[in-house]
Amino acid sequence: MTAEAPSDRSPVAALALGWVLPGAGHAYGGQWKKAVLFFVLITALLVAGLALSGGTNLLSNRLWYAAQICAGGPAVALTPVSQYLAAHRPIDWADPLHEMGTLYTAVAGFLNLLVMMDAYIRLAYPHREEEEDA
Amino acid sequence: MWEAIGDFFAHLLAPSNPLWFYYPLCAVVAVVYKATKFDDPKKIALSALHFFGSVTLGMLVLAAVFYIISRVF
Repeated sequence: MTAEAPSDRSPVAALALGWVLPGAGHAYGGQWKKAVLFFVLITALLVAGLALSGGTNLLSNRLWYAAQICAGGPAVALTPVSQYLAAHRPIDWADPLHEMGTLYTAVAGFLNLLVMMDAYIRLAYPHREEEEDA
Repeated sequence: MWEAIGDFFAHLLAPSNPLWFYYPLCAVVAVVYKATKFDDPKKIALSALHFFGSVTLGMLVLAAVFYIISRVF
C-alpha cells in the first residue's frame, strides 16, 4: 500500500463514516480520489436500481433491505421516498426490471460494506502489503 | 446444435433482453472491488477490466452451454 494513514485516525470512525456516506471512510483516511470514486459508483448504482424499479424497491422486501441498508445514508434518505412511491403505485413483482433494480440496490449495499471494511483495514493495519495478483 | 447457438445469440443480443443490465452492474463491481485492493489507478483499471472480462466471458459460456443443453437434449 502506498498511502500511509495518519496514526491519529480511528478505524472505527472510518467504518462509521463509510456507512453514513459511501466513500467517507476513505476521505477520513486521506484518500480523497478513492472516496469520490466509491461515492459516485455506489450512489449511482443505488439510484439506478431505484430508477429501474420505478423507485419502489427499497424496503419492499425485508431480506433485500438488509443488503440495501448497507449502502448507508443515501439508502436511508431514499427509503421514505421509495415507501411513498410503493404505496401509490402497484409493484409488479414479475417485472424483470423490478428484480434487476432490487439486485442493483442490494449490490450497492454489499459494495459499500466492502468499502467500509477496506477503510477500516487501511487505518487499522496501515502497513498491509498490496496484493500482487490481479 | 448450430441452430441452438444461433438462437442463443439472437436472444442474447435482443434489445429487450434484461441481461443488458448485468454489464454495468458487473463493471461497477469490478472497479469497486479492485479499487479496494490496489492504489495505482492504472493497476485498478487493468485488473478491473480483467475481472469484468473473466466474469462476463465465464457467465456467457456457462449460459450458452446450458441453453444448448436445454435445446438439444
